[in-house]
Amino acid sequence: MYVILLLAAVAVIGPLLVVASSSFKRQDEIFSYPMTIIPRIPVLSNFAQLSAHFPLYIWNSIKVTTSIVVLQFVTATTGAYAFSKLVWRFRDTLFILYIASIMVPIQSIIIPQFIIVRNLGLYNTHTAVVLVSAFTAFGVFLCRQYFLTIPDSLLEAARIDGASEYRIFSQIVLPLSIPVIVTVIIFSFRYFWNDFFTALIYLTSVSLKTLPLGMADFVSQYNIEYGPQMAAALISIIPVLIVFLVGQRYFVEGVVASGIKG
Amino acid sequence: MADHRSIKKALVVASFLLPSFVGFFVFVLLPVVSTIGLSFTNYSGGRTFRLIGIANYLSAFRSTAFLSSLWITARFVVFSVFFQLALAFVFAIMLNGKVLARTFFRGLYFLPSILSSIAIGLAFALVLNPGEGPVNMLLKSLGMAGQPWLTSTKTALGTIIFVSVWQSFGYYMVLFLAGLQSINPSLYESADLDGAGLFRKLLSITIPMLTPTTFFCVTTAVIKGFQVFDLVYIMTGGQQGGGPDGSTTVLVFDIYRNAFMSFRMGYASAEATVLLLLLLVVTTIQYRSQRGWVSYDAA
Repeated sequence: MYVILLLAAVAVIGPLLVVASSSFKRQDEIFSYPMTIIPRIPVLSNFAQLSAHFPLYIWNSIKVTTSIVVLQFVTATTGAYAFSKLVWRFRDTLFILYIASIMVPIQSIIIPQFIIVRNLGLYNTHTAVVLVSAFTAFGVFLCRQYFLTIPDSLLEAARIDGASEYRIFSQIVLPLSIPVIVTVIIFSFRYFWNDFFTALIYLTSVSLKTLPLGMADFVSQYNIEYGPQMAAALISIIPVLIVFLVGQRYFVEGVVASGIKG
Repeated sequence: MADHRSIKKALVVASFLLPSFVGFFVFVLLPVVSTIGLSFTNYSGGRTFRLIGIANYLSAFRSTAFLSSLWITARFVVFSVFFQLALAFVFAIMLNGKVLARTFFRGLYFLPSILSSIAIGLAFALVLNPGEGPVNMLLKSLGMAGQPWLTSTKTALGTIIFVSVWQSFGYYMVLFLAGLQSINPSLYESADLDGAGLFRKLLSITIPMLTPTTFFCVTTAVIKGFQVFDLVYIMTGGQQGGGPDGSTTVLVFDIYRNAFMSFRMGYASAEATVLLLLLLVVTTIQYRSQRGWVSYDAA
C-alpha cells in the first residue's frame, strides 16, 4: 500500500518540482536528461526575462482579488443573516433560487452578462471583474448554515435590550462566526486569485491584466521559452501555497461543508 | 404605528438582503433569462438585431462543429469524472485507516486542486513535451515509446483528461474521507462479530453508506466537467486552441469562440442554452435516481 501512496505522491509532486526547479534553470538544462532537481547552474534570468508588465500583473491580481474577497465577505454574511435570522415572505423560495444558481456555469450566462457590463460602461475595467464576482451563492449558503447554529435566544435577549439588527449582526453574530468567515475568505481568495475566464472576457488592456491572463500570453508566442513560463507559474502558485500551508484546515472544512447533504 | 413598524422591519430585511441580491439579480438571474431570450435572435454585438425563431438551434444541430463539441464534452465528462472519483475513492479508503504520514499524503493529494489551472497547464505543457519532455524521457528509458500527448488528435483529449484527473482527484478524496468518517463504527463492529471480511464490509457497509457522498461528488464533478475551459485554452494554444484539428474543442470553448471571436452571440446563446438544459437534465436525473441508490439512513 505504501508503494502506491508513494508513487502517487511522486506523480503529484513531480510536475510541481519541475515548475520550481525549471524556474531557476537555463533553457538547455530544462531538457537535460537525467533530470536534475537542484539546478546545476542556478540562474535568476528567467524571472528577469519575464515581460516588464509582470509586476503590474501581480499588483492587478492582488487588487482585484482583495476587492472581490472583501465584497464577497459583505454579500455572504449580510445575505446569510437575512436568510437565517430574519423572518420575511418568500425567504425560502429566494434561498432555493440562490442555491440553484450554484449549478449555473458562468460560461452559459457570460454573453448577456457581458452585454450588461458593456451597457454599464464597465467593459475593460477592474470594476467589471469585481462586480460580476461579488455575489457568492456558496458563501451565503456556507454562512447561513453556520449562523443557524447560533441560538436565536441570544439574539432575542439583545433585541429586548434594544439592540438594532445591525448591532446584533456586527457585534454578536459576526464575532461568533470567525471560522466560517475565514473559510469563505480563503475559498474566495483561492478561486479569484486563479480566476482566468472572467478576466479573459472583461479585460483587454495590457495594463489591466491579472496574473493568469498575463501567463496565458505565453501560448501565443512563437518562440517558446520554458524558463520564464515556469517562473511565472511559480509566482502564481506561491501565495496559494502559503495560505494552504497556514490554513489547510479551512480549505478542508470548506470542501467538506459544501458536501453536507448535497 | 403598526404600519410604521412593519415598514421599518421591511427596510431592515432589505438592507441585509440587498448586497447579495443586486449581484444575484443583475449578474446571474437576469443573464440566465437573457441567454434564453438571446438564443432566438441574430444578435451579433451591434445595436440592431431581430427575432429569428429557432433558426440558431436548427443551424447548431446541423453544424458538425457544435455536434462534435457535444461529443467531445460528453467524452471528457464521462472519463474525467470516472477516473477522478475512482482514484478519490481508492485513496480515501487507503488514507482512512491507520497509515504513516496520513495527514501529509492527504494534504499533498489535495494540493493540486487549489492551484491555478493556467499554471498547471503550463507545467504539463513542459512535462509532457512530445520531444524531450521529462515524461517521454522517462518512458524511453523504461524501453517504452514516447507519446505525442497534446500534439496528436488521438491523444490530446486524453491528455487533458489526465491533467484534470491529476488536478482534481484529491478534492473528491477529501469529500470521501469526510463521508467515511461519518459512518458509525458500530456497523463495522457488528460486522466483525458476524465474521465479515474486509471485502464484505466494503461492499455491504462502506459503499452503501457512502452513497450520499458519492451522489454529491458525481453531481459536482459532472458540473465542473461541463465547464472545463482553462486547461483547454492554455494547453492547446489559446484563442486559436481547441486542437489539434478541433479534437479538444469542448462545448464551452466553442461558445467562447462563437461569442467573443466571431461575435455570433445569438448563435452562441443557443449553444449556452443547450448547456444549461443539459446540466438541468443531468442534475434532475441524478437527483431522481438518488432515491433509488442513495441511502440516507442515519447511522
